[in-house]
Amino acid sequence: MSYVELEHTADVKLRVEAGTLEELFSEAVRALMATMYGSVEPGTRAVSVEVHSADLEGLVHDLLSEALFLSDVEEVVFSSARLTIGKDSVSGILLGEPFDPSRHRGGSEVKGISYSGMKIGKEDDTYILDVILDV
Amino acid sequence: MLEGIKRIGPCEWEVPRGFVPAMRVPGRFFLSDALMETLEEGAIHQLANVATMPGIVKNSLAMPDIHWGYGFPIGGVAAFDLEEGVISPGGVGFDINCGVRLLSTPLRAGEITNRRALIERLFKAVPTGVGAKSTLRLSTKELEAMLLKGSAWAVDQGYGTAKDIVRCEEQGQMKSADPSAVSAKARQRGMPQSGTLGSGNHFLEVQEVREIYNPPAAARMGLSVGQVCIMIHCGSRGLGHQVCTDHLKVLEGATKRYKITLPDRQLACAPLDSPEGRAYFGAMAAAANYAWANRQVIMHMTRGVLTSLYGIAEDEMPLIYDVAHNVAKFEEHEVDGMRRKVCVHRKGATRAFGPGSHDIPPEFSDIGQPVIIPGSMGTPSYLLNGTLHAMERTFGSTCHGAGRVMSRSKAKKALSGQEVKEALENEGIIVRAPSVGAIVDEAPEVYKPSAEVVRVVHDVGISRLIARLEPMGVIKG
Repeated sequence: MSYVELEHTADVKLRVEAGTLEELFSEAVRALMATMYGSVEPGTRAVSVEVHSADLEGLVHDLLSEALFLSDVEEVVFSSARLTIGKDSVSGILLGEPFDPSRHRGGSEVKGISYSGMKIGKEDDTYILDVILDV
Repeated sequence: MLEGIKRIGPCEWEVPRGFVPAMRVPGRFFLSDALMETLEEGAIHQLANVATMPGIVKNSLAMPDIHWGYGFPIGGVAAFDLEEGVISPGGVGFDINCGVRLLSTPLRAGEITNRRALIERLFKAVPTGVGAKSTLRLSTKELEAMLLKGSAWAVDQGYGTAKDIVRCEEQGQMKSADPSAVSAKARQRGMPQSGTLGSGNHFLEVQEVREIYNPPAAARMGLSVGQVCIMIHCGSRGLGHQVCTDHLKVLEGATKRYKITLPDRQLACAPLDSPEGRAYFGAMAAAANYAWANRQVIMHMTRGVLTSLYGIAEDEMPLIYDVAHNVAKFEEHEVDGMRRKVCVHRKGATRAFGPGSHDIPPEFSDIGQPVIIPGSMGTPSYLLNGTLHAMERTFGSTCHGAGRVMSRSKAKKALSGQEVKEALENEGIIVRAPSVGAIVDEAPEVYKPSAEVVRVVHDVGISRLIARLEPMGVIKG
């Protein structure tokens, strides 16, 4: 599991890679949080999540949008997710630590998850996601 | 130069139909030769994609701060026919009514002997940065009123004066707001964030009027060389972001239901006169009102600091004007010699209505609407006026800022926050932010030169220069 920031002039474009789809989604949540808060450490605060969409792009889009919402209102910086991915749903828990202004002010607020430029695919044994975040 | 685009004037270019399949109208954009070097292919594709949307009128347009965004390009403007046209959150953006306002003061730059103390006081007064919470404690009823009434709600609560309202686009209130289309989730995010600045490119800057290009217009706005002004740039916070996310999902379904074919899922849309289209418009208008109230509250906090530091009364600090950057609105425009009501989307573009237009404060009616173009940190901002030429060419629109040229990842590799801060301080510009990372993100080097962007809109004639303002100090999120 890993992610890198790719070149994008105005926004933040991320490439996330993982061995399974579940890990890919979990790593995407961590990458989103690292963009928002700068530093992300493992934590034990668990928040339930469930989203529904007709396709894989929609599922990852909606999961990240929901993580953004939950992080904002629950004041938790998520570092991982334990998820079950179905045909048209993702459910499970997001795990993280409470938002702490002294440690979590190193990033930039993400306003939304974009479908523009979104790609999700598999090369050999690796799942790859490209996603653009509006900051 | 990109293959397939045509020059049609010194600073005007056409993207012909066929550049991408199914374009209904040509694209047009305004750019000087110097700025052509910064043009991204992705932005032109997005401009062309917009031209495929049902009911688009005349042209898909982009201003000289055009760059690669999501859905519409940033700097994008498009008008849609009321019967055949659509409305799309991709033409407004996540930060609904992100906008900017300019407040004047009676202070002269030389009177601010301790800039650092002023910036520090402003930084303490205005909640700033990721996760910042408001000092306001809104009830659900108050939030509802804020969504309905915008700036007027803030003034009713004692944040500012009735004169401020007149000096806002739409008088700080879109009358068609429908709070019932704003979800519980959006409200939950909006409640603790009213009166907060946000992060990213949002800022509050102390500026000095350094040069005046149009003395009669500047005098009418009460501005003279050496005067201190305050510029505030922020939007509708998590509430607006959530409205966009929520309705994007609904409109994705609507796109399929109404059998609309689009080249980009982020352009999800619905006919203007459909339940889904009306719901998004009502929610977007409510979020726009939230943003106007937000800027009004922040301006009130700013005035409070100036009153306590310099003993200036509220009425000595009039609002010059407030403009929206990300919004869709029903407006009447002349199209091919006929007056037509259309729905104009502006995404990273500023309304620039010419002299005599309605919805301009009466005292500016013969000048044209004030247009405020913020520079990046360390570069000048400009005050301009809207023109009749803008009414004819761009549905009364102009640019909204400088536009980025360097990605955040490249900026982080190339620059250090501390060095940027010190370089600006050597020029006398004090920067205060919650982290040095936020400073690198918005360093002067990452933006196009604001002077060149503004020169293009002035030369093309879609707005005309009144004054240049130079930064003295800035607080950032």
